[in-house]
Amino acid sequence: MSSTRALKAAIGSLSQNPEQLLAVNVTDHCIVLAGPGSGKTKTLTTAMVRTLLEDVPEPRGVACITYNNECAFELEKRLSALGLERGTRAFIGTVHGFALSQIILPFARCVFPDWSSEISVISEADRKDVVAQAYASIGGAGDPQNRWKFAETKRKSEIDRSAPAWRDTNPELADFVEAYEGILKDRNQIDFDGMPLLAYEMVSRFPWISEALKAKYPVLFVDEYQDLGYALHELVLKLCFECGIRLFAVGDIDQSIYGFAGAEPSLLEGLSARADVQTIRLRFNYRCGTDIIDASMAALGAERGYVGPDNAGKGAIRFHQVNGDDNAQAKYVLESILPDLQSRGYQLGEIGVLYRWAKHSDNLVSIAETQGVPVVRADNKALIKRNSPVSRFVERCAQWVVGGWKTADPRFQRLCYDASSLVYGGTASDEEKRQIEHELITFLTPMDGAASTHSWLLDFKRDILSPWFARKRTISEHWDNVDEMIGRTDLAKKGSADLKMAQFCGDSSGTGAINLSTFHSSKGREFRAVILLGMNNDVIPNWRSKNDPNKMNAERREFYVAVTRAEQELHVVFQKGQHSVFVRELYNRTQQNK
Amino acid sequence: MHISRVQIRNFRNFKSIDVPMAKNSVLVGENRAGKSNFIHALRLVLDTSLPDRSRSLKISDFWDGIAGPFAEGGNSIEIDVDFVGFEANPATHALLADFRVADDHTVARISYRFRPDCEGEPSSEADFDYIIFGGGDETRSVPSKTRKRLVLDVLHALRDAESDLANWRKSPLRPLVEDAFSRIPDSDLVSVSSAIEGAGDALLQLGEITTLEATLRGKLLAIGGPRNDIDAKFGILSTDPSRLANILKLFIDGGSREIGDASLGSANLALLTLQLAEYEWKRAQNEQDFTIIAIEEPEAHLHPQLQRKVFSTLFQENLEAPQSLIVTTHSPNIASVTPFNQIILLRNYGDKGAAAYSLANLSLADDKKDDLQGYLTTTRAEILFSNGVIFVEGPSEEAIVPAFSATLGHDLDALGITVCSVDGVDFGPYLKLATMLGLPCSVITDWDPIAGGTPLGWARAKKLLLSKRDIQGAAAVTPAQLSRLDTEEDTLRAAARKYNIYLNSSTLEIELSQDPDLADVLLSILSEQTSFGPVLKSRIARYQADHAEIVPEKLMLMIGYVGKGRFARALAQRIGGIAPPEYIKLAIEHVVAKT
Repeated sequence: MSSTRALKAAIGSLSQNPEQLLAVNVTDHCIVLAGPGSGKTKTLTTAMVRTLLEDVPEPRGVACITYNNECAFELEKRLSALGLERGTRAFIGTVHGFALSQIILPFARCVFPDWSSEISVISEADRKDVVAQAYASIGGAGDPQNRWKFAETKRKSEIDRSAPAWRDTNPELADFVEAYEGILKDRNQIDFDGMPLLAYEMVSRFPWISEALKAKYPVLFVDEYQDLGYALHELVLKLCFECGIRLFAVGDIDQSIYGFAGAEPSLLEGLSARADVQTIRLRFNYRCGTDIIDASMAALGAERGYVGPDNAGKGAIRFHQVNGDDNAQAKYVLESILPDLQSRGYQLGEIGVLYRWAKHSDNLVSIAETQGVPVVRADNKALIKRNSPVSRFVERCAQWVVGGWKTADPRFQRLCYDASSLVYGGTASDEEKRQIEHELITFLTPMDGAASTHSWLLDFKRDILSPWFARKRTISEHWDNVDEMIGRTDLAKKGSADLKMAQFCGDSSGTGAINLSTFHSSKGREFRAVILLGMNNDVIPNWRSKNDPNKMNAERREFYVAVTRAEQELHVVFQKGQHSVFVRELYNRTQQNK
Repeated sequence: MHISRVQIRNFRNFKSIDVPMAKNSVLVGENRAGKSNFIHALRLVLDTSLPDRSRSLKISDFWDGIAGPFAEGGNSIEIDVDFVGFEANPATHALLADFRVADDHTVARISYRFRPDCEGEPSSEADFDYIIFGGGDETRSVPSKTRKRLVLDVLHALRDAESDLANWRKSPLRPLVEDAFSRIPDSDLVSVSSAIEGAGDALLQLGEITTLEATLRGKLLAIGGPRNDIDAKFGILSTDPSRLANILKLFIDGGSREIGDASLGSANLALLTLQLAEYEWKRAQNEQDFTIIAIEEPEAHLHPQLQRKVFSTLFQENLEAPQSLIVTTHSPNIASVTPFNQIILLRNYGDKGAAAYSLANLSLADDKKDDLQGYLTTTRAEILFSNGVIFVEGPSEEAIVPAFSATLGHDLDALGITVCSVDGVDFGPYLKLATMLGLPCSVITDWDPIAGGTPLGWARAKKLLLSKRDIQGAAAVTPAQLSRLDTEEDTLRAAARKYNIYLNSSTLEIELSQDPDLADVLLSILSEQTSFGPVLKSRIARYQADHAEIVPEKLMLMIGYVGKGRFARALAQRIGGIAPPEYIKLAIEHVVAKT
């Protein structure tokens, strides 16, 4: 479908939601505050396409910054449905990707005379060495890694190094950070946290860089603003409020759960309070049943006035107290809740089991394995890291091999595009693109969906990824993820049968697998039925938070995020007599509503 | 925005040139100087209509003087095109932002390389390939989008303007007309079309037409028989409302003749105008952001005055538009109306390759610019087509230097050496011009002694030699000599000679009168002046009897009565066979030796 027609249809579908319609048509700075299930991604993508078609003529474009690569994948999918293909006039990527590919790589060599194009991203192991080295160089005492946590916080939150505060408060931490950065520079390396910092420094010292960005991207879209931290915030202030790039930001203060990574909900709040910003609040929650919407506000501890659309169901919330520990709760989930859900027509793929930390799912995974229940993990123990472009590329190639080639899902051209982005970061010449296409088609044919995943991955690494790694020009992807995948699929070592390709890359039975996810990783996802596992008072809130209102609020928001993943049914599982205080509040609200 | 610099290495007749460019450029040069090669080099970088096959060059495209494309790991053909001012427009800024060069963020570069692309040493044409990249960094590929929106279009010399105009599919008029039609309401088109149809029907009903039709039908039927009848009928061209645009034509001379019947010159002019309108329209449609229009030898079919009029208008009007003109020409008429900063002179030095001399960076004060522009215009830019220049103060020297040259055995016209009068003593701007054009030159100037003071020629010569030293950058004079320029006449004269500035010891006529043979000629011209009275006549006779009697002031006075220019022209007629004074001789021999 052409973009114009698709856009017309998309805008038409917003007619029942005046706030969304308004947001899509705003042509000033705009902030959309959007609760769970409010259709924020739809609002964002529709606004992006409208802006490209109506406000920003060729050859200029728009940039969209998202929290992580997974969000970027999702946005690309939605935009493609609106007729906007990848690689045209829209940049979509993370803060780091934006800083690196749009600011540092194009312009650093123009402003830093000793800049080397051979720069690389430091590995986690090396980074620890550098921290230790830096700490020694400033004569620090005690554990450097421990002390680094403080230095890191200062580094991530005090972006403007020219401000007096940088040296006035905790100068020894400033020394530590500067020593660390000095060593990185000598090694010709950069770390992830350093990317937006360097980008900020460049933009603030050289106004022509802002002008170049404005020429390319007169409108900047930011998704999940609340999760993006100080560096992006300062960058946005410079680019949008000093240089005149138009801002369209979407976020939800209540879903700010990345405090540990430097996110701070007050930044979004401050922005929406500005006089030159139009703030629009989305009221509808299209995801959750009305009872769940209502109870979620109790979980949050604040009334937001969210409502469901007229045709929304009520949804159901069930509390399950289990006599026993994690293991007993896991068994209960698999043996009681699961059969019940299945008997009422829920498919495995529609069920999400959410827990606070990855370790809480270990019991569930091993029991599921013995019972032959398929599960797919979306936490940091996931076989395919949802957030890693390399892993997702491997997954898509596998999907193509097991049958995607028949339905063109994924399209082969998409694989080629992804590959040249991974290897050349959008700077591939025609010749390089042709070569990648040739290598891929040669490797992927014949399409043998029955192959063993482990050996396929080994071949894939040898024939595809290793040669690409050797000639890549990008610096920021996690190429070693494939080793982890190879290790985890080596089932012969464990004495089990081979993992089939079809199982590896997703749906084999047609009913899918139960989704396992930590609260954090569940952000942005939704399931018909959600099971919250291990909601005990020693899990959430953490005892260390109990006397700190800020930390308590942060934990509340995590719980709120988990609760609002449920569309129709929410099951809360906990140890009898040990329920979390948040569970109590949730329960009380459901009782009032009866 | 405009192209600010073009560098070409190892391509055809260019060994290595580095050419500063202005917003518009006029490439002047003789045949085979490389004008078309220069345009083709730009096309290799920018013209997306050039097929890949043509972009991949041949070994024969390497500069001939090269040791061999295969030597030492292989040579490459390199073309770099720099842009400046792209930030002024967001669209061009967006296109070029990532292709800034590392050492200057105000400059964006797109480059072409044709070079070995093989394992080991290249041994055949097949081992070579081309790449196009930006920012001077081979890993920055330039998306075709960028090059499609920065359009380079070439209007070839001696193109068939009439057929281009007559062929609707090729005509630049077509998009303009179709666009105008697309904005006409359908109802209007329908009513016009039915009116045309009605008129057409009326035409077809006229007796003469129906008779002719019947006659033809009868003949066709007779010749082929009824089985093969093709059922011929008269009709008028399509009246379909959606195709009305096709029946529109451009007429000239108040509608009496089709444009295809225009003279070659008018047709070319019309085509050029329409083409410029088409580019403007394409930019308005947002199909392109910047247009570089290369016009090859547009002088064909245009008479001199029209050449001057058209191009002086184009060069003026085009300054604000997001487009650049690059005109190649050997027409002095076009060159003479070109603002001198836009002139690029190409010269072929045979084995050494061609050189390009650009005046884009010639910086002068405004009044000097006007002087120079005036000189170029009145002399029809003669200097651009010359091989060397002798600069003199005024018409007197201008008249006699060629005569003296002939005595020395040099035909200046045949050698392509121009004697240029600067009408005064302000040689500076002219020297700059000649130097930037790579022309050998010398200066003939007077010492001009004054009573009780330093001769005027002293300071003038010093200033000139210092400025020439700055332009040439060569230290022909040592610092020790420099320090003595103000005090030692010999040092000054020696230094001036090193920079080919030749001084006499008084003024021209006095200097000539020092030579007995020349003094005779000089006095005989004076003696023939019928307007002179007895006092003057007797003075002339006294001088003729004894040259030692000559009083310089009185002599100058009498020459003044005749008129210096007129006197010099008469002199030039009669000095054949007489050797020139040494300083004039040196000035001539220097330039002759260099050409």
